[in-house]
Amino acid sequence: MAQSAKPISSPVPDVWYPTLAVFMLVIGLVITASFFIYEATSSKKNRSLAKELITGAVASVFLGFGSLFLLLSSGIYV
Amino acid sequence: MKRIRSDLSLVFIFAFFVLFSTGFSDLVVSKLDRQIDLSSPVVRTTISLKIENNGANSVSEILLPFPEHQAKNFAFLSAKISEGKGKTKDSSDSIPVAIATPEGMPPAMTWYSVSLPKELVKGGSLTLEVKAVFTNILRPFPEKVTQADVQLVAFQESAHFLSPYRVKFQSLAIKLPEPKIESYTKLENTKFSGSELKYGPYENLPPFSYSTVVVHYAINKPFAVAQELVREIEISHWGNVQITEHYNLVHAGAELTGEFSRLDYQARPHVRGASALRNLVAKLPARAHSIYYRDEIGNISTSNVWSDSAKTLLEIEPRYPMFGGWKTAFTIGYGLPLRDFLFQSEGKRFLNITFGCPMSDVVIENLTVKVVLPEGSKEFTASVPFPVKQSQEIKFSHLDIIGRPVIVLEKTNAVPEHNQHFQVYYKFSNLSLLSEPSMLIFGFFLFFVACVVYTHADFTISKTSPSYLAKLQWDEVQTTIQQFLNIMNRCLILHDKLEASLRDLSRTGDVQACKAARKSADSLLKELPKELKPLLSFLQSSPQAVQITPKVEELITKERELQEKLMLKHSTVVEAFEKKSGARDIDSRVAAVQQKITLLRQEVDDLLKVIDEI
Repeated sequence: MAQSAKPISSPVPDVWYPTLAVFMLVIGLVITASFFIYEATSSKKNRSLAKELITGAVASVFLGFGSLFLLLSSGIYV
Repeated sequence: MKRIRSDLSLVFIFAFFVLFSTGFSDLVVSKLDRQIDLSSPVVRTTISLKIENNGANSVSEILLPFPEHQAKNFAFLSAKISEGKGKTKDSSDSIPVAIATPEGMPPAMTWYSVSLPKELVKGGSLTLEVKAVFTNILRPFPEKVTQADVQLVAFQESAHFLSPYRVKFQSLAIKLPEPKIESYTKLENTKFSGSELKYGPYENLPPFSYSTVVVHYAINKPFAVAQELVREIEISHWGNVQITEHYNLVHAGAELTGEFSRLDYQARPHVRGASALRNLVAKLPARAHSIYYRDEIGNISTSNVWSDSAKTLLEIEPRYPMFGGWKTAFTIGYGLPLRDFLFQSEGKRFLNITFGCPMSDVVIENLTVKVVLPEGSKEFTASVPFPVKQSQEIKFSHLDIIGRPVIVLEKTNAVPEHNQHFQVYYKFSNLSLLSEPSMLIFGFFLFFVACVVYTHADFTISKTSPSYLAKLQWDEVQTTIQQFLNIMNRCLILHDKLEASLRDLSRTGDVQACKAARKSADSLLKELPKELKPLLSFLQSSPQAVQITPKVEELITKERELQEKLMLKHSTVVEAFEKKSGARDIDSRVAAVQQKITLLRQEVDDLLKVIDEI
């Protein structure tokens, strides 16, 4: 083993995983809810596609990372 | 005892050493000590040879022959040169040992050649420490025992070390597990005391001296042999090294004959089942977590864990006590923190972890170590301190697209001595770490896009049916009403702004700012009726909007009224301020208007709510 070897650890400390999972999933689900409220309440012609897509994109970023951290915190190391 | 057949090949050896006289005579072993440890099913031999070079030429390699029956059971062989004398012995690193085939040698022996780091010059001497580990060399005798019997094994060795060199002085010590011995070959200078059997010293023996000794003794230890062990080491750069070990264990000692009585075993476990395998202790690295022990049925609850800062001990018990010939299969698994095992140096990452099984005194017939690298690793190589068979495969696991590269290392006949560190080097970019979350994000995004498409798409089959047309009209009415409500809300916000400007005026007395606010509000409010007009005319013409139109119209008139009153109030207050009237005076003047405004605002809000609910 070389002297200059540096240990590698995870980019995010493992103890944060549960907290991150909860917060990101909550934020993601709230944005998802707002997305569906917008879909259901605004009429077809008034709806703006850009707004729908942006809300969807933000929600999917939060849900994506949230579910990743949920997997990691439950011991499924992807 | 006579039934133990001694190897026929030995006869050839004896015949051979008579013919074979010169060649290795340059080297002389001046002192040879052999210690054989029979206390466990794995036989460990330590040989210490003091070698002198009496010839004219320098020697760079030393040959060590082993008889065939030993050589085929070799698990581990290492040689060291120890320098210095007495207690301050200084051992160097182990030196390479390779299989050699010197010419003109009998085939009944396997030769190993030890390459010396520096040549042994004429007249020089050195001390060589050889450690050899054998498996499957103890033969149960009798081969079948009952539950109450003691397990007896026979061990065959030569009292004289098989050497191609002349040995001046040699001795052999055999350590037994218990001071119980059934029988042993008695030669000259044989001594048995305690649990140790001594042969020798023998002096001035010619090359290839051989004198078979057989020791028949009791060993009440289980012969735990893993016929198959698959260790899977999976690296995740999210902070974990997951190890899963699949065992296929057998008790390879004397087979149990007759019936097994659980009652006897429970009552006197050390007499009725002395050699049964009760438990195994795995020494796992420190900070091991998420440890499990299960088999095909499910979790096996008979396990225990102790941990301290240096190690984690996992004690596992099979589902039943294992007697000779009995088998079991189980799986243990645990997670280890990444930073203890994964390192980076010179642009490459490497895993540094132990090779063998964490349980002491388990012999593994076929050991397969699979190192599963993260997806996207490149240029991977393994460096193992002993020869293994290497191959590669691909494994698909969670969130994989192209699969994870797996380095498969196979080793037969692995003993605890093989529990050494090995390294797997590979290249990995940190960006690949983001592939899993980006896949999840993409998946969720696709879901949202599907929702958008679904709500935008029109799935009606009959585009001319009256109900469909009615629905379309109703949609349009809804759209118009939403637009109308938007305008109204903007209007009300402007009202609020005007009120706010009045409050500012009473606080700061800045008439100009208030006038400017009024002006901008006026111009904006003027625009609104223009926007309202098409919406209102559409609603009036639409048959679907019959119910709402009156409300909308009412709202418009009320709002206009409200607007007028508000303007009146605003002008009155501003005027009063310009005339520098007192605050009380202004209040009394505006009071009547203010009352109306509040009332109207209330009505407007109610109407907005009613329309919104439609």
